[in-house]
Amino acid sequence: MHIPDGYLSPLTCIITYAAALPLWVIAFRKLKEKLDEQTLPLIASLSALSFIIMMFNIPIPGGTSGHAVGASLIAILFGPWVASLCVSLVLLIQALIFGDGGITTFAANALAMGFMASFSTYYIYRFFERKAFAPFISGWVGIVSASTMVAVILGIQPLIASSEGKPLYFPFGLDLAIPAVIGSHMLFFGVVEGIFTLIAYRYIVSNKLLKGVSA
Amino acid sequence: MKKLAYPLLFIFILLPLGLISENPAWAEWENEYYHDILGFIPEGIQNAFALPSIIPDYSLGGLNDVVSYYLSGIVGIVLIFGIFYLFGKKIAR
Repeated sequence: MHIPDGYLSPLTCIITYAAALPLWVIAFRKLKEKLDEQTLPLIASLSALSFIIMMFNIPIPGGTSGHAVGASLIAILFGPWVASLCVSLVLLIQALIFGDGGITTFAANALAMGFMASFSTYYIYRFFERKAFAPFISGWVGIVSASTMVAVILGIQPLIASSEGKPLYFPFGLDLAIPAVIGSHMLFFGVVEGIFTLIAYRYIVSNKLLKGVSA
Repeated sequence: MKKLAYPLLFIFILLPLGLISENPAWAEWENEYYHDILGFIPEGIQNAFALPSIIPDYSLGGLNDVVSYYLSGIVGIVLIFGIFYLFGKKIAR
């Protein structure tokens, strides 16, 4: 799901940065409110866990691979703003140090894997709060929502940026991007995120690693 | 603290499992892929803005894949904890 540099038209990059900047400012304020001696080690650890979990590339049929994100776990424990900012930080490190995801596309990636995943997770979690499967289903929805955003952003590129019939940036349209990206996340990576979120959430609750969160 | 650190350490030890996949992610192909499929490489992809990465694709030139992957993991974790440590200091003031 990490969109590389060169895959999105300059206009897409500008719009995604313009949309993400104010959201990052709000998210930073929310993070400041939540950080204290008790939450800081846990939020930092879950961010590190998000980074690590994205390194587990899972091969799937069809010759591609993917991974979970870890945004959902942070979103249900600390809210969607904190989760969005933590995942954005992870994505920034991946882009700058490891060339995983582009710099020009960082905002698009942060909107999808950060904000989209976190907010969709959070509201689905709220909806099913008292159910045992809530962390699973909200994790699954988070990843599938993020992948939907990525598929649409990629799939519209040939429509908005072509020259003499040749696409200038990402060349495949929505007809290919939507089934490939959303389908694989519905069937595989969303399930992985759901299972991960469920196990990790149960572990954190049963070991009382965060005050105020109970089963 | 141990209850937090131990599972993290366990997951970290499993990190080389992430190297099993030979498959690239969908839409994260090498440029040659476009050449093979489309007969051309889209201009924007060919001339993409690129900063030289410090550890491109989590591999440190010359080092064994598994060692590189572990080191990449450590670099990422140290950076994340470092940034949160600085946040914490700034907020405490």
